[in-house]
Amino acid sequence: MIAVQDIRDTARDLLAKNEVRAVIGYRRGTNGMFAEPVVITAAEQADQLVWDPTCFHNLSLYLVEDRKFLKHVKQNPDLPIAIVAKGCDARAIVVLMQEHYFERKNVYVIGVSCEGTGMLDERKLASRGIQASDAAFDGDDLVFATAQGEQRIPAREVMADRCLECRTPCPKEYDALLGEDKTGRELAEPFAALKRFEEQDAVERWKFWERQFDRCIRCFACRSVCPMCYCDECVVDSISFPVNAQTSAEEKANRVRWIERSAVRSENITYHMTRAIHLAGRCVDCNECERVCPVNIPLRLLNNKMEREAREQFGYEPGASVSVPALVASFLDSDPGKFIR
Amino acid sequence: MSHAQAEVTQAEASGEYEPRIVAFLCKWCSSAGSDLAGVSRIQYPSNATPITVPCSGSVSPMYILSAFKKGADGVLVSGCHIGDCHYIEGNYLARRKIHLVKELLGMVGVEPDRFRMSWVSAAEGAKYSQVIKDFVNDLRPLGPQEKLKADRS
Repeated sequence: MIAVQDIRDTARDLLAKNEVRAVIGYRRGTNGMFAEPVVITAAEQADQLVWDPTCFHNLSLYLVEDRKFLKHVKQNPDLPIAIVAKGCDARAIVVLMQEHYFERKNVYVIGVSCEGTGMLDERKLASRGIQASDAAFDGDDLVFATAQGEQRIPAREVMADRCLECRTPCPKEYDALLGEDKTGRELAEPFAALKRFEEQDAVERWKFWERQFDRCIRCFACRSVCPMCYCDECVVDSISFPVNAQTSAEEKANRVRWIERSAVRSENITYHMTRAIHLAGRCVDCNECERVCPVNIPLRLLNNKMEREAREQFGYEPGASVSVPALVASFLDSDPGKFIR
Repeated sequence: MSHAQAEVTQAEASGEYEPRIVAFLCKWCSSAGSDLAGVSRIQYPSNATPITVPCSGSVSPMYILSAFKKGADGVLVSGCHIGDCHYIEGNYLARRKIHLVKELLGMVGVEPDRFRMSWVSAAEGAKYSQVIKDFVNDLRPLGPQEKLKADRS
């Protein structure tokens, strides 16, 4: 992993020269060793920034939040906002620019190459009962500082699956790049979990999803944390339906509700499948939805399925380039059509 | 309610399983195709409820999931043949989108035969009747669709 000092220096420099209005990065959180997102606006705050294997958050979410806030206060500052972006975060930024959510000049990307390391998986760590105050890579191992002393675990066993399978650990779109473009380790087979899952027959697959969707409590954490879920109005909760004193019961009853908000299986499954479809060709596999899910629904399977179809059937890689048209807004003559009668 | 539809309702009332199909037909081709099947007096099962849409490309995945949620046993999306779209490229876009929906439904464990897409032109009344016949025959052994149906009890 690159030295944190490089990130701090870059951020300090940018803020001191007044080239950016703020820097979105990571700082030490209050939850043990885990980092948390932070927005710094002054050069002297740059020393707060950290960089370690717990920086798993996808910060591009805060670019979206920033845009929403600026729209709300009707401002359009000249200065860009800087963001510390890993390979996956940079892909998300590319998708957002592809969709013209903001322009290239609005954002200053401090690209950070993961250099063959990656981020921790909180759940893998918790299942091993490790409570550490610090984590660092040492070759192929992760070294944790715990109350019982130093604990050394092969990195592969506690790293997030998406990092093990990551094909672009180095940002492609950046203004400044820290670290080198190298993988440094043997990559795991992509879509391994999906492949394992699909080996089951349809009855087992349904049993699995039935159980998963029965458990969803519809907290919408997956939607809140997703940088691609930026719609002003979500199909789940319609805000454009005005209800006032004059609205009759009939009008309320007859409004179109594609998905109810109640947490029952049929609504949950419609919600999650709709979300997977909406993210087809846009999901960059940052896996934040699965990480924040309070009931551990394996949402990555759904998103991976769409990603793999896009790659294998349509030759589309989400977040690869700003200039290519979006997956569902384009077509090729060679698209599969055998299933059509 | 037509005579044929009344028969289906009657069969359902007597406890016999009759698959219910929701068919999203594009206004320019498939809808006209189904009309032709009618005016040509071609006999085919009346299990399909046709819903005319402007273009197969306008069929949102929400429509399909919603139809299943409201209890459809099968959903058909039908549009113009490739190259014949009234809006030039609508059916190309539909082909991509529908492929994704189909794959997702299959992955979750919904029987692949419950969801179908076809190209039926305005001159293909016979083909339309055949598509519906095949669909009904394939749906019958599957029984009622309970997986995505909303639990209203």
